[in-house]
This record gives sequence, structure tokens and C-alpha cells, in this order.
Amino acid sequence: MKSVLPLFRCLTSIERNVERCQISITPPNDQVMIQFFCRHGITKTHNLCFQESEALQAVFASHLSPNVLKAPARLLSDMVMHFPVSQEEITLSMTPLRVSLRNYYEGGDDHMKNMYTEMSLHPDEFDYFQIGVESDITFCLKELRGLLSFAESHCLPVSVHFGAAGKPVCFSVEDMVLEATVVLATLIDSESRGPSQPTETLAPTTPSCADAAAAVLPVGSCEADSRKPQDIAAVMELIASSQGSPIINPPALMLLLPQIDDSNKLSVADEACHSATTTPASSTICSLLFRALSSEDNDGCAARLPVLAFHSDEEEEDYTREQSCYT
Amino acid sequence: MPLSTQSQADDEQYVLVASLDNARNLSNILKAIAFKDHAIFSATPNGLKVTVEDSKCLQANAFIQAEIFQEFTIREDSVGFQVNLTVLLDCLNIFGGSTAPGVSTALRMCYKGYGYPLTLFLEEGGVVTVCKINTQEPEEPVDFEFCSTNVTNKVILQSESLKEAFSELDMTSEVLQITMSPSQPYFRFVVKNLKLLSTFGNSGNAHYDYPKDSDMMELFRCDKTQTNRYKMSLLKPSTKALALSCKVSVRTDSRGFLSLQYLVRNDDGQICFVEYFCCPDEEVEE
Repeated sequence: MKSVLPLFRCLTSIERNVERCQISITPPNDQVMIQFFCRHGITKTHNLCFQESEALQAVFASHLSPNVLKAPARLLSDMVMHFPVSQEEITLSMTPLRVSLRNYYEGGDDHMKNMYTEMSLHPDEFDYFQIGVESDITFCLKELRGLLSFAESHCLPVSVHFGAAGKPVCFSVEDMVLEATVVLATLIDSESRGPSQPTETLAPTTPSCADAAAAVLPVGSCEADSRKPQDIAAVMELIASSQGSPIINPPALMLLLPQIDDSNKLSVADEACHSATTTPASSTICSLLFRALSSEDNDGCAARLPVLAFHSDEEEEDYTREQSCYT
Repeated sequence: MPLSTQSQADDEQYVLVASLDNARNLSNILKAIAFKDHAIFSATPNGLKVTVEDSKCLQANAFIQAEIFQEFTIREDSVGFQVNLTVLLDCLNIFGGSTAPGVSTALRMCYKGYGYPLTLFLEEGGVVTVCKINTQEPEEPVDFEFCSTNVTNKVILQSESLKEAFSELDMTSEVLQITMSPSQPYFRFVVKNLKLLSTFGNSGNAHYDYPKDSDMMELFRCDKTQTNRYKMSLLKPSTKALALSCKVSVRTDSRGFLSLQYLVRNDDGQICFVEYFCCPDEEVEE
């Protein structure tokens, strides 16, 4: 994306001069061509290299979500405005009487130093309010801010679909010419046990997605049966406490683009997982991520929640293993 | 004006006297070539030529005809000296260079000859400043041997269209490639986007095409398809001249040498020229 943005930076000059913009890919080049047809017959052509990759697909039925909120982007922006820019995650709580947002901090070590903020809104404030299950979901605020500023600049309403903690939350905006969806994983409630997942909340937009607004998060999923029971507990705990820290560098995650499926990778990922018990929390998260990426979604095992993303390849695992050495 | 009260006798000792009511008519055009500290001044009865060079590969010339000056007296056929251009520009702007209408700095530039400093009398609002800048022996400017008979391709464009292109072009690219051709793409700039070297390895490129029948194109005379590459670092200073100009002529000769000529209108609407010569980086066979 970084290569493409500068081309569209000078909006005023674009509005003044450009009559038409054409974006095309001509095989066999690995280049995308962005052409601006300007006044006076002048043509500006930019060729940028790209790499093929499969886009992640969110397998998430937002219409089945028990809870739905819809509000102008402005309202949601005003809500998140109260949180410091550095705030990583927030918790959205919904009851029949109110919707509230509060900041989320990991661990109890320095909780005396943090400032806790909570704000509540009455359901009437929202254009649409539907509550199926009372829930508290915790997700990454940074990702949301990006979408909200985009929606606000286009004066679009934002819809929020979610369910219980642990299930993904979906933010979407749409108008006549575009539809944008951001699916974020939410933190699972640390009290609950069982085969459902430890979840991931951090993931930036993958660079392969042409639509900048459609960010998809890989969700960690573990085959409970293949892991030792104590691993699960350890992992669950570790995840809950390590949510606050920026464990994974966006660049690392960006490399986790799904590649060609290779069933051999599953075993490699297994190893990564088992080594998790001996490595710090951060690398555990990384390992889990691999696990999810490489496991197939096909089995429809009832004990497992659907995997939102799949496929990874060896290079990337090596990279992340490397990463975990440094954390 | 206080400057005119200088006794006539003084003038006898100067080989060159040039006066301007508005010093900006000189300073603006000199800024367009001020990419190096030193400039070679060469005065003839026709006017003043100021030359700045870089590593024998790039040469910029500013031409200010005698008619531009309110007074231009020269007692020899040719007067030449070298002077620190940065210092000269600082002096010309000594009153702060305000652009308030009606307020301008008047200039009287005097030179006694070899070995003497260049004397500038500057006046604004009744305040007079005298600056004496040491001169050096003028170096011989490089002769690029660029003559009209050797010109293979020539286009004249309105600067407006180029100004934007150059401001957008990735200036960190090392090389600018110019193609001129009697057939498509007629007139094209290509820049390789080294800055955008992505993790995918290969960098991209950008090219700007100007068709020969564009209404920005005032003259299009290309006989032969030529593609030449020039170091961006050499051409960058020319963007200052481009910014001031209303028209630019781009010519290449059979060796691939580039001549850029800019038509600049000063504050009073008079015309001056700035010219850049640049040698090619490497011949590219089309």
C-alpha cells in the first residue's frame, strides 16, 4: 500500500488535471499499471510490482450475530475519542439497558498507574439496537479507529455485529459505490474453558488486499484434542494476560499471507505449538497463529470454531520462529 | 534616488555599470541557477550572462539582456569575473526581500576591472547599503558544443504541464530517462522508483507521456527516436528554473546531450532566458 498511496496524494492536482484513472494488470508481468489520463492529452503511468497471494476470506456470518448496533460513524468516533491514542484494546459491553466502552489493560502489575475510562450510552442513541446476548467483547481499538475515520469522512453509518466474547466482531460500512467490512477477533473470556479458542486481536491489513478497508484477521484456533490439557490452560492464561502488549510486529503478521495449501505444514506447526510451553507468552501467540493459518477449515469439527484464515508457508514460520527468539 | 547622486567621475573608473530599479529582476533569475556557490559573470554590450557549473556535466546559464537594465554601461568588449553567488544573492536580498507592492530594492552594480571587487549599491526606502564582494579570476566555462545544427529533436512545451510532473516525479530516483520520437510515445519521461523498492524486490517505474498534438505542446520537431538517460541529481536544480518559467524548450543533439531553455518573465514582464546543458548518463539504443 505504501507504494500506491503517494500516487494519489495530491488530491487537488488530481481533481484539477486527471480525467480518468485506469488500473490494470496485464499478465505475464508481475506489475500493476496505474494510469492517469490527464488534461491536454498527457498520460501518467505508474508501474508497481506486486506479488500474488491469496486474500484471506473471513468466514463469518454477520447476519447470524445476536447483537447488532448501527450508528453514524460520528457517534462511534465520539465514543472512542475519549480513549488515549495509545490505547490498544477496548471492551464493548452490551446489556439491554446500555452500551458501554471501557479500556482494557492486561495483567495487574501496574494497574495502579493506569487511567481507567468507561463511557456508556443508552440504546436510544443508536440508529439500531439489537441485543441477543449480553456480552463483553474486547478487541483492538487501533483497527477500529482507521475504519471510523474513513466512515466519518464519507458520512456513512457503521454497523456492528457481534456475539459472545471470543466470537469475532464485524464492523461494516456501505454506500452506493463501496462496501467495507472489518472483522476483528475478540478476546475470549478467560474464565470459560473448553475447546473454544484462544483468540487473537492484533492483525493489520494484509498488503495484498486491494480494498484497504477489508481487513481480515487470522483467528487462532487449536485442535484441543491434540494438545495436552495443561497446555491449554497455560495457553489460555498466557493469551489473556498478554493481550495488552504489542507482541507481534505488523510486518511479521503481514508476511503471514496465505500461500498454497500444503498439508505437510500442519506437522511443522504442531512442533511450533508444543514448543510454546517453554517460550515466553509472545511466541506462544505467534505459534498459535501458525497453527490457525495452517489448519484446514474443512472438517467441520463441532468442537472447533471456524477458522477465519488458513494457509501459511514454511518461510513465514521460520521468520516468526526467529521473531520469537528475540522476544 | 540617492544612487544617482554619485558623481559622474566615479563612473569613469568602472568598466561595467549596471542599474536596476528592482533588484529582484536579477536576484530571481540568479536563484534559478544558484545550485553551486560560484558563478562566472560575463558581460558584453548585449547584456549579462551568468554561468554555474557542476562537475563538468551540468551547466546553467542565465541571460539578462542589456535592455532589462535601467542603465547598462560597459567600457570593454567583454568583462568577466567569478564571484560567490550565494553571497551575491544574500546582498541583493539584504533588505529582507519583502514583496510588498511598490517597495523594491534598487541596485547599482559596478566593477572596476581585474583585481577589483564587485561593488553593489543597494537602496530601499532611502537607506543605502554598499557591498563589496571579492572577485576571482573567471574559469573558462565548459563548451558543450551544443549547436543548433546538431539538434536532432526539439520540443517546446508550456511549463505548466511539466512543473507538475516534476513535482510528482520521484526525485530520489537516480536516473531520468527522456524519450523523444516522431512516433508514439512522442515525448516521455521515465523515472524508476527506487524509493519504492518494496519487499517484493523489483522496483516499479513511472512514465509521463506528452503527445505531440497536446495543446501544451507549442512546437514538436522530432526527426529521430532517441532515448537518453540523465542523472537526476544533475537535473534537479533545473526545477527551480522551471518553476519560474512559462515555456521550456527541450532539445537533444546527436550525442544525447540535453539542452533545456526556459523563458522567464520577470516582475516587469520582461523576458530573460535560463539555459541548462546536461550530458547523458549512458546511451540507450532504442
